[in-house]
Parts: sequence; C-alpha cells; structure tokens
Amino acid sequence: MKIIVCIKQVPATTAEKRYRADLRLDRAASEAVINPLDEYAIEQALRLQESGAVESVGYLSMGPEQAGEALRRALAMGGDEAYLVTDAALAGSDAWATARVLAAALDRLAPDVALMGMASDDARGSLVPAAVAAMRGVPLLSYGSELQLHGTTARVRRLTAAGFDMLEAPLPVVASVTDQVGEPRYASLKGIMAAKRKPMETWSLADLGLAPADLHGAALTRVVEIRKPEAKPPTERIENVGPDEAVTRIADWLAARKLI
Amino acid sequence: MSNDICFLAEFADGVASRSAMELAAGARELAAQSGGATVALAYGPGAAAGAAGLGAAGASRAVVLSDTNVPAVTLAVAAAAAVRGAHTLLAPATPNGRDLAGALVGLLGVPAFGPVRAARIEGGRLLTEQATLQGTVITVSQPADGAPQPSVVLVLSGTFTPLEGGTGKAVVSQAGGVDAGPLGQARIAESHPAEAAVANLEEASMIVAGGRGVGSADGFAPLHELAAVLGGAVGASRAAADAGWVPYQLQIGQTGKVVKPALYVACGISGAIQHRVGMQTAQNVVAINKDPDAPIGEFADLFVVGDLFAIVPRLTAEIRRRAGG
Repeated sequence: MKIIVCIKQVPATTAEKRYRADLRLDRAASEAVINPLDEYAIEQALRLQESGAVESVGYLSMGPEQAGEALRRALAMGGDEAYLVTDAALAGSDAWATARVLAAALDRLAPDVALMGMASDDARGSLVPAAVAAMRGVPLLSYGSELQLHGTTARVRRLTAAGFDMLEAPLPVVASVTDQVGEPRYASLKGIMAAKRKPMETWSLADLGLAPADLHGAALTRVVEIRKPEAKPPTERIENVGPDEAVTRIADWLAARKLI
Repeated sequence: MSNDICFLAEFADGVASRSAMELAAGARELAAQSGGATVALAYGPGAAAGAAGLGAAGASRAVVLSDTNVPAVTLAVAAAAAVRGAHTLLAPATPNGRDLAGALVGLLGVPAFGPVRAARIEGGRLLTEQATLQGTVITVSQPADGAPQPSVVLVLSGTFTPLEGGTGKAVVSQAGGVDAGPLGQARIAESHPAEAAVANLEEASMIVAGGRGVGSADGFAPLHELAAVLGGAVGASRAAADAGWVPYQLQIGQTGKVVKPALYVACGISGAIQHRVGMQTAQNVVAINKDPDAPIGEFADLFVVGDLFAIVPRLTAEIRRRAGG
C-alpha cells in the first residue's frame, strides 16, 4: 500500500507579500512554509504507515525550485521519498493547470491513495482534489476527519450538518483530510538529518509527457487587477466603563444600525 | 456554446438550501448580463419535487441530477453533460459544491474561479473578485483568451441576495442516465446523525460566537441566550471546538464555516487570521474581549473591552427590555 501526499509551498501567513509586474505573487521573495493544512495530510499518512496499514509514504509538490525545501521538511517529519515538478512554464498555474500536472505525476507514481489537505492557505478553492480525481478517473473521498484503509477499500469519516458520515470507495482513490486528523508532528533533529539522505526526484513538464501548450500557458484564468481591500472605518471602542454603561452603549450602537 | 448561466442547487430534507436561493438570484443577474437563460442543477433529498419551485427564486429551467443524499462528486458526469457549453456555472463554496465544481473543472478542462465575493459579466466576459492570501488582497480575474466554457465559479455565501416575492415555475428535466464511472463509486456507507440538532450557521443572519475566553461548555449558556433574543445562532472559534465545548459543526473559520451574517458578536475570541477568514465579510462585527490588545480589536466595527460574563447577560436583558418583552 502506497500513499503519495500532495503538498504545496505557500507564503507564511505572516510573510509580507510582493507582486510582480504581471500581477503574480513573487513566491521567491516571500517567506515560505508547507501549506499548514497539508501538514495534517502528512500526519494522517504517517499515522497509517506507523499502524502498518501503509508501506510507503511519498510526497509530491509542484512549484518553483525552492518548493524542494517544503519537500525536505515533509521528509523530516517522516516518509520515504519525494517528487518535485518544477518548470518555468508552470509559473502562475491556476487550479486546472495544477490539477493537470499533479494528475500526470500521480499517473506515473500510481499510489493507492493520493492524499491532500482540504485547502491551500493562499488560494482556498479546495478544487484540486476533485479535479485530480476527475482527470485520473478515480473516486474522491474528501474532507475526511480520518482516513481508514481496509483491504481494497478506503474510508473517510466526514462531518455532516449534524452528525457524521462514513464515505467509502474502492482503491485507488484521491482523498483529502481536514485539520481534525490530529496535530501534525514536529520534525525531530534526527528526522531532519535523515531527510537529507532520502531520495528526491525533480521532474520537468517534459518528463511528465506534457508540453506548455497542453496547459494553455499555465492557466485558463487571467488576473486583470490586484488591489488592497477597501479601507474600513476605524473600530469604535468601548473601554474603561462598567458593564451597565457598556451594555447601554452596545445596545444604542445596534439600534442605530437597526440590528435590534 | 450558449450564454446560459447555470447554478448548483443543493437540497436537504426536501428544501432548497439558502445557497441555492442566493445562487439563483446571482445566476439570474448574470444571465441578464449575458443574455442567456438561468438553469438550476438540483441535487439532494427533495430536489425532484422542489426543482420547479426554483422558478420563483430566478431559474427558468432546472435539471435534476439526483433526489437522494450522495456525495456530490458522484454526480459530476451527469452535471458535466448538463452544463457543457454554458457560459458560467455558479457553485456554492460548501464541501459538496467545491467537490462538484472541482470535478467539472477536471472533466471539462474549464477555468475555475473563487471562492469569489462578487461576479459580473461585461461585454460577454466574466469578471470575478476574490479575496486571496487571507484577505490581504483583492484579485480580479477573468477567463484567459481562448479558454473553453463554462467558467466554474465558487461563490461565498452572502454574495447574492435571494429574490423576494418571485413567482413562476422552472421547466424541470431529469439528467440523462449516464455512466458515472469511477467518480461515481464513492458512497455513503454509514450515516450517523447527531444526538442534538445543530444550527445551520450559513443560514443565520445573526451569530453570537465564542472562543477560548468562554472557558467551558457551560460558559456558552449566556451566548445561547443572547443568540435567542437576537433570533440568531451560536458559533465558535476552533479553540472552543477543539476543547470540546461545542460540536465542530459550529466552528467558524478557515477549516469550519464561512459566514456572512448581518451581525457577528465575537465573545472571548482573540481573532487569529484563521478565524478571521471565516467571518470577515460579516456586515457588522462586535467583539467583546478582556484583552485590550486582542487582534480582533483591529477589525471589529465595535470593540468592547470587558468581561463577557458581565456584559453578555446584561446585553440580553437590555435587548429584551427594549423589545418590550
């Protein structure tokens, strides 16, 4: 049984973001981390490996060369091998192009489970898992708070409006997990040292049998404008008053906006 | 190729969801700009009986994909046949909506946008507005030249306002029997309802949310009372859900619900960025926090520095008094 965890390197939440003249995020100029929600997918895969349900855990990322750092960090948490798809023609990829490239790489790696985080911190579309499943023609088990493997079947536990469902599909599958799978582990010093010796392959688009023309210039979408959000009016503050005075003023504030 | 605007209409317990009503209004607005028809893709328990009723919400036609509770992604092949060549498809930014939208992007090789907070069509071309990088920038995007139709657009709740007083029936058809292939193989093997009913936060116009500062499950009692007097629902930060004080279904934020109520009262919530992305488009934000330096003070409209256990019960009583009750 083999799991490939797809991870994305994203700008750190606190990092200052810079944009290039063509309105793309300058990823090289921003402090970068493993997408925090992908760390839960890593944790889930490693737990399955530790339980004996999975023999091998690998990582796949698409990004600039520096995304190799994210793969090394993942290898420091555990797992066996990593694959980086990097190509100048991939800069500015949208959800469709990203899914196309990941699907091509996963076709090559043929894992039983392609595991992903539920969303990326920067784009937050959550479209890639389903798009990859559709392109590869395999079932999708999404938004799992837990992934289970039983023989030739995969299951996820998914929260519903009130309770939870168990979703099931025959392997191979694409799956995504939420932040409820359990806190991701930290890389130990030993893990960091071991990661340096784990195999990492780098693939270009051509290595995957894809040409830039197949990707429509890396995107079917085009950014035409980037701007700061509208400045909001300054916060009104109520402080250094007793609760009765505070409550009168809150109620006045709500009434002025016809909220009560 | 057509100028039709399609939208996903989720049904639950025989009723069209709030998102279906919002997207119907949005699709109709865009259809007026594109010069096409408004077409619903209805699925979920009650979709067959309720599809015609989407006419009053703005749809001229409705295609029923399924009338039962199945993972939405399993409907993607049927949905792809129904939307092929349309101008735009609006999908709710819910787990099922995202899965179905993503699968359509994969099956049809079409552009994807969102989650967006605004969309319009100008000169036949779609323009969408998205807050990216935790809301630090607004990105306006459109389909690339030569990109195939339809554009798939994830839409945040509250982006469009449901039509009121609409009449008329949508012309209903059933999606053809297509082989869903492996995408259709995911199924719900077991369903476990909760012991207690949980409010649907995405449909609430007033939300009272609690965080770490609430301190315990019992600490939520005054929040429930305030929510009741406002006619709203109770939500929570991830810290409160992780602590087990409330069920995860009430979590608001990046990995929980994204809400856009008229009023959001944040009690004992510090305002981490992960929480903020779940509620930053609320129309009015009132924060009550003991810590005068809590980050939520930077983006609340009204920031009250004080003890929530002193303030919230008094506020409930005051609102009740002013309502004459």
